[in-house]
Amino acid sequence: MIQLSGLTKRHGDVLAVDDLTFTVRPGAVTGFLGPNGAGKTTTMRMVLGLDRPTSGTVTVNGRAYRDLPQPLRQVGALLEAQAVHPRRSARNHLRYLAQSNSLPERRVAEVLDLVGLTDAAGRGAGTFSLGMSQRLGIAAALLGDPPVLLLDEPVNGLDPEGVRWIRTLLRGLAAEGRTVLVSSHLMSEMALTADRLVVIGKGRLIAESDLDAFTESGVLVRTPDHVAFGRRLELAGARTRPGNEGELLVTGMSAPDVGRLAAAEGVTLFELAPRRTTLEEAFMELTQDSVEFGAAR
Amino acid sequence: MKAADAMRATGTMKAAGALRAEWTKFASIRATVVLSGAAVAVSGLLAWLFGSAATRDYTEATAAERLRFDPMDPAMRGVFIVQLLVAGLGALIASSEYGSGTIAASVAAVGRRRLVAAKAGMTVLSALPVSVAAIWLMFGVSMATMASHGVPTLGAGDPAALITLLVGPLVLTSLALVGLSLGLLARGTAAAVNISTALLLLPVFATVSPGWLRNVIGVYWPNTAAFRALSADPDLPRLLGLGILAGFTAVLLGVAFARFESRDV
Ligand SMILES: Nc1ncnc2c1ncn2[C@@H]1O[C@H](COP(=O)(O)OP(=O)(O)OP(=O)(O)O)[C@@H](O)[C@H]1O
Ligand SMILES: [Mg+2]
Repeated sequence: MIQLSGLTKRHGDVLAVDDLTFTVRPGAVTGFLGPNGAGKTTTMRMVLGLDRPTSGTVTVNGRAYRDLPQPLRQVGALLEAQAVHPRRSARNHLRYLAQSNSLPERRVAEVLDLVGLTDAAGRGAGTFSLGMSQRLGIAAALLGDPPVLLLDEPVNGLDPEGVRWIRTLLRGLAAEGRTVLVSSHLMSEMALTADRLVVIGKGRLIAESDLDAFTESGVLVRTPDHVAFGRRLELAGARTRPGNEGELLVTGMSAPDVGRLAAAEGVTLFELAPRRTTLEEAFMELTQDSVEFGAAR
Repeated sequence: MKAADAMRATGTMKAAGALRAEWTKFASIRATVVLSGAAVAVSGLLAWLFGSAATRDYTEATAAERLRFDPMDPAMRGVFIVQLLVAGLGALIASSEYGSGTIAASVAAVGRRRLVAAKAGMTVLSALPVSVAAIWLMFGVSMATMASHGVPTLGAGDPAALITLLVGPLVLTSLALVGLSLGLLARGTAAAVNISTALLLLPVFATVSPGWLRNVIGVYWPNTAAFRALSADPDLPRLLGLGILAGFTAVLLGVAFARFESRDV
């Protein structure tokens, strides 16, 4: 379990993480989502004691990270996969990490095997492709067989096969009762991997709940009067947001009720269809006010 | 009592684990291993060069000049270059982790305090044997070079030589810890090595400096003070000269640790 309470980090003028309070519980994969610069990496660095919080606290299984006697046995982390010495072999990279926490030497071979790097283990890590580096980073995270895992964009650079492999791996680790926090930009991937989602934007918590709550049923309406009808739907208690040209995405009202309302108001409908919002859309909607580095529209 | 013993045992175990990890890091990259070997090789080479030069000077010298001839002087002249390599070795033990980014994984694995302690231990463990080898080789090669041409030399047991042979390696090791501190502070190999080279070579400018500054950098500067304390006829009390370097090293290491402890990795 990871508990954040009022966690805040300021870098000069930049409020990278702003009063974050949430809990990552064991036995589930928790997806950690947010646009670029939202503060995901900074949050994970604070969990690991690498960045000092400006204020607030974070504990792992009830203790501050720095008080863990042999941290790699408690928390496994993948932050930057390419943070390895280019001339040091993958095996030696894992060996020094294992030795630092008095882990048995055989764990090195075990995790190399687990991530499929046994044949490349003698090569300098600088010769690895991005995907191989990610695998090495995951091997390092699993070295101490930890009950808590923190992975910052682990699927970055992996091929479809690798993405599937990570998904199965993470789901398996969570099923064993471990706490798994994984950040990603790929909402579609999180939809398949995560049980719970924590969404942040500009360092603030935007949403925290089970995956199901993020994808809701809605109704797609296409009409020439979309502005006026949208307002009428809102008055009737539905929520709407604009879709493509002339489209409305309606939530909180069933398709038949939308149709009846249109008939009562004499509004012409070109299209009326039930629709399930995707996680992608939910994410866009949630974070549209907090995208810092969005492309100009 | 039992619990305290157990605590101490795991504390020792953790320190040993951190040190073993440092050793694996040290031995598994080429730069540190090559630099260690280079420091010793360069020592031998410089000793031969300065020994040969001293032989020429001695043959051409007047009787009065020959009386003032101190064989330890050419023998140890190479230390001015070798100190840079040994300090660089210390710097690399910290800075190579910044260049590659492994510093985050290392801090996450053992914590800041134990990481700095293990790095200081690794610095001593690598720099001390290198320093012993460098200084003894320097002495042996230069004395052999001069002796083969009939220039008067000193034996290792001579008091004037013995202090250099015994304390000299400690001085160099101390400079390696200075390098380590600079590596931690500068967080990059290039910056750390540049600062340490400037710091260690500054005394070269003593002769062209105004009076008071000449004293500061030519006599009391940490590395000069320590090297001068080793000479047969030191111009500072020996303990003062060595104490200046020891104090400087301790303060710099303390500052580096405090900075490392308080800032983000
Ligand atoms: N060391 C630092 N100095 C100054 N600003 C920083 C530093 N580290 C992070 N920031 C800023 O803090 C904010 C959060 O950055 P962070 O890397 O945590 O975001 P992120 O959610 O991981 O983004 P991405 O999805 O692009 O990886 C950004 O505005 C970033 O510029
Ligand atoms: Mg990030």
